[in-house]
Amino acid sequence: MYRMFVHPTIKATHAHSLILHGYCSQPRRGFHGSSIFLKNKPAATDYGEKSEHKGGGNKSLVTHDNLFERAAQDSRTKATFNRVVDVFVKQDIRRRGHVEFIYAALKKMPEFGVERDIAVYNKILDIFPKEVFVPRNFIQRMFNHYPRQQECGVEVLEQMENYGVMPNIETKVLLVQIFGEKSHPIRKYQRLMYWFPKFKNLNPYPVPHELPQDPVDLARFSLSRIANDLDAKVTMYQMPYTDVSEAGEEVTQPYVIGIQSPDQQELLAKHDTSRPVFVEGPFTLWLRKTCVYYYVLRADPLPPEEKVKEPIDPEQCFFYPLELDLDLDRDVGDEDNFNVDEVEEGPVFAMCMAEKGDQATLAKWISGLQETNPILGRIATVFRVESGPCEIQSAAEPESAPAQESEPEPEPAEEEKPLRSQSMKQ
Amino acid sequence: MKPLQDCNRNAFSGHTRNLAYAKDLFLGKVNKEEVFPYPEVSNEELDEIKQFVSPVERFFSEDVDSKRIDHEAKIPPETLNGLKELGLFGIQIPEEYGGLGLSNTMYARLGEIISLDGSIAVTLAAHQAIGLKGILIAGNEEQKAKYLPKLATGEYVAAFCLTEPGSGSDAASIQTRATLAEDGKHFLINGSKIWISNGGMADVFTVFARTEVVDNEGQKKDKITAFIVEREFGGVISGKPEDKLGIRGSNTCEVVFDNTKVPVENVIGEVGGGFKVAMNILNSGRFSMGSAGAGMIKKLIELTAEYAGTRKQFNKSLSEFGMVQEKFAVMAQNAYVMESMAYLTAGMMDRPGVPDCSLEAAMVKVFSSEGGWVCCSEALQVLGGLGYTKNYPYERYLRDCRILLIFEGTNEILRMYIALTGMQYAGKILTQKVKEMKKGNIGVVLEVVGQQLVDSIIRKVDLGLTGPDGVVHPSLADSAKKFEENVYLFGTTVKSLLYRFGKTIVDEQLVLKRVADVLINLYAMTAVLSRASRSVSIGLRNHDHEVLLANTFCSDAYFKNNYMMTQLQKNAPENNDDNIKKIAKEVLAQRAYICSHPLERTF
Repeated sequence: MYRMFVHPTIKATHAHSLILHGYCSQPRRGFHGSSIFLKNKPAATDYGEKSEHKGGGNKSLVTHDNLFERAAQDSRTKATFNRVVDVFVKQDIRRRGHVEFIYAALKKMPEFGVERDIAVYNKILDIFPKEVFVPRNFIQRMFNHYPRQQECGVEVLEQMENYGVMPNIETKVLLVQIFGEKSHPIRKYQRLMYWFPKFKNLNPYPVPHELPQDPVDLARFSLSRIANDLDAKVTMYQMPYTDVSEAGEEVTQPYVIGIQSPDQQELLAKHDTSRPVFVEGPFTLWLRKTCVYYYVLRADPLPPEEKVKEPIDPEQCFFYPLELDLDLDRDVGDEDNFNVDEVEEGPVFAMCMAEKGDQATLAKWISGLQETNPILGRIATVFRVESGPCEIQSAAEPESAPAQESEPEPEPAEEEKPLRSQSMKQ
Repeated sequence: MKPLQDCNRNAFSGHTRNLAYAKDLFLGKVNKEEVFPYPEVSNEELDEIKQFVSPVERFFSEDVDSKRIDHEAKIPPETLNGLKELGLFGIQIPEEYGGLGLSNTMYARLGEIISLDGSIAVTLAAHQAIGLKGILIAGNEEQKAKYLPKLATGEYVAAFCLTEPGSGSDAASIQTRATLAEDGKHFLINGSKIWISNGGMADVFTVFARTEVVDNEGQKKDKITAFIVEREFGGVISGKPEDKLGIRGSNTCEVVFDNTKVPVENVIGEVGGGFKVAMNILNSGRFSMGSAGAGMIKKLIELTAEYAGTRKQFNKSLSEFGMVQEKFAVMAQNAYVMESMAYLTAGMMDRPGVPDCSLEAAMVKVFSSEGGWVCCSEALQVLGGLGYTKNYPYERYLRDCRILLIFEGTNEILRMYIALTGMQYAGKILTQKVKEMKKGNIGVVLEVVGQQLVDSIIRKVDLGLTGPDGVVHPSLADSAKKFEENVYLFGTTVKSLLYRFGKTIVDEQLVLKRVADVLINLYAMTAVLSRASRSVSIGLRNHDHEVLLANTFCSDAYFKNNYMMTQLQKNAPENNDDNIKKIAKEVLAQRAYICSHPLERTF
């Protein structure tokens, strides 16, 4: 059905369509269509002439872009976007230049924050004149009827697809009215409707589109997400706080928020006190387009020679033996486990997120943890904190002061470069 | 008082039993001498039992107001006094200590009547089946002389304190601690025990607490010790009685020990030997429930049969409808099987020596508690809406008997016990053979395969129950054949399970559950075959009905066993075990029912 991109509009040589081309940075797939047919197509040529009248020599897409730019001067909202569309629709009963206008509108959608709004997409589709492009006989149906318009309709659906917007029944009605039952946009719509519902709930760990704004709430959310343990408890080890001291300096207290599950507590309680535990980080966690950083408290895995399996106390269960005194092992035929080569990792005892990733702040976390895990007082804690963006979503903000193991308070100037490079990587 | 020197490493295998009927079934053997003929009591004993039974029966029908006990959640003192006067607080305490000194068989007989009121049954069981059992089986002479007489008359009521908020069957998590006081003559007990039956009214408690013991290598170790604690000692605080679903008249509450001073001579057995004491008490106490279910169902049959005979629908009485008839058949069959199992086990326990019938007792408990629940529900169903009201006793029976599946070891735990004890026993004997087979010893493999081949072609399992030296009456020969076939198949199944899982079978709970269920069925079949054979042979009244019940039960159980054993021979993906585990895993990971609502849509 689809072939490599052969843009039919090029054949209809018009300056504005070239400009349009320039605006669409990524090549769009076109339909295979007869070029002769295209040349004879009245709508495209018709349009060019008339828009020239209107635009006063301006390239049409630029005009439409300007329309949006002008509207954007007061505010970039759904209402303004809709107003622009309304203005266009009311301008001319024949909707001249609607294809260009739609392309421009699609491009501007993210700027107005309406790229996930099905109502807006429907409104855009509504710009197409109805019934004009519906093929009326089998020949029209066989050849590509009004390819530019159909392609534009597909483009609208494609943008919906890219943003994960599910078409609704109104979309379908519009498409049928505009392009007819068996048109390309309708096919696209049908494919969307086949796959989208199947993919909609595929992710077992969905991230909401709207993340919490408050960094503390975001940290809470992210930590629960990493821990993935219903018993894990989120604890605020230090409240965020800003105050002006007597000397007039601004004193800020970074927040420290951590998570630990009862299982982790138990593991930590059993930890051999002669082995150190490490505070490591920052590690990244991506939540859609937001990147957050977290730290872990972990230990090295036990060397195999020190691993002792605790023997089951024969006097443990009052009712039945917990193990059988038999010299028989499981038969290979009943080993249904896959042979997985597992890399052993050390236990992770707790995780935290902090506004600042320096040792002083993270030490607050450890001392807070110590209240519920008294054993931490007897274990050496080594900070292996890498320099890096240590503030949540702080990729662009250079004010955070990351720390290194050796120097708790490094020069901020020195730290800026690695900070930037780190953020680039991420 | 000496520290525990050498405790048996594995308390489960340490038993003094030479009777091993149920365990031998794991090897595919029927030890028919042990279960045939059905145990009998002498004429004198029978007269004695009848003497005891009639006043108790009269008391329960005239003086016990179960409805009121249930409603007020309290057994009135005059009822309790009546029970004490009848000597029911010391049924199994020897006569020299002022008890009735009855055998297990007689205890079972009395249990049938006592069970007519769940609250009373549980109160008495908590008192003597577990509460004072520690003193009776592990106490020394002084302790017995000091406590048993008062306990036998009911002057003292006993309670058994094992369960803790953090410890059901896990001894390692017992938190109650007994520390030796500075004078060296007392222990100080601290801790709290929950769900203690009779906790609010008991005067003597059997308490299990952690004590520090120095073991052979001189290392200090925590071990469980059993103590006799009197309320008099001080520091014993009983909590508010629990508001329960059933057995509402029995008293269940939390008991807190706060620096309770217990003299060292009140240690039961040795210091650090409490684990075995607890296990022995639990294993022997369980039996008391066997006949209770049967007693209850017999009563329910009487009550519902009257209704079914008089209530008319479409000009027919209820008793003419097939589905109602089926309910009565189920009840009669269950009652018959329970009774047979209970008295067979009681008879085995009453044999000279100290036979360990804990496996059999556990099977009786599982079977009768579950059968009891089904029958109560069926009886209630016969009455329809009426059964659901408080005007009739059915809903009370239903509530009361629900506890039977839970206490004294939940049925799940007991199934583990039943299956694992047998597996351990069979494993010990078969290990060598299985190992040879695994090594690929051609001789052994050929022998086993050849045996199976011969069996499958000739298919004639004869374990000697029928035929010239048979012990089963010819009218039950078909059932006996089915039973033998099941036993033989069970033996090979056990062997293949050992081959497949070895000692890791401990973790295969779904497999073990089936093993336990098959064994319970086999034991039940044994009991009915044995009993019915005896009844026919000596010409008891309605023995033809017994034969009918026995044959019906056996053919039913035969199919169930075959089904379960077929499943046992399959791998986890084939017998649905994998799916079952997976479903549970997915549900438990989210701790919720995870399917989308049927009305939910995606577009």
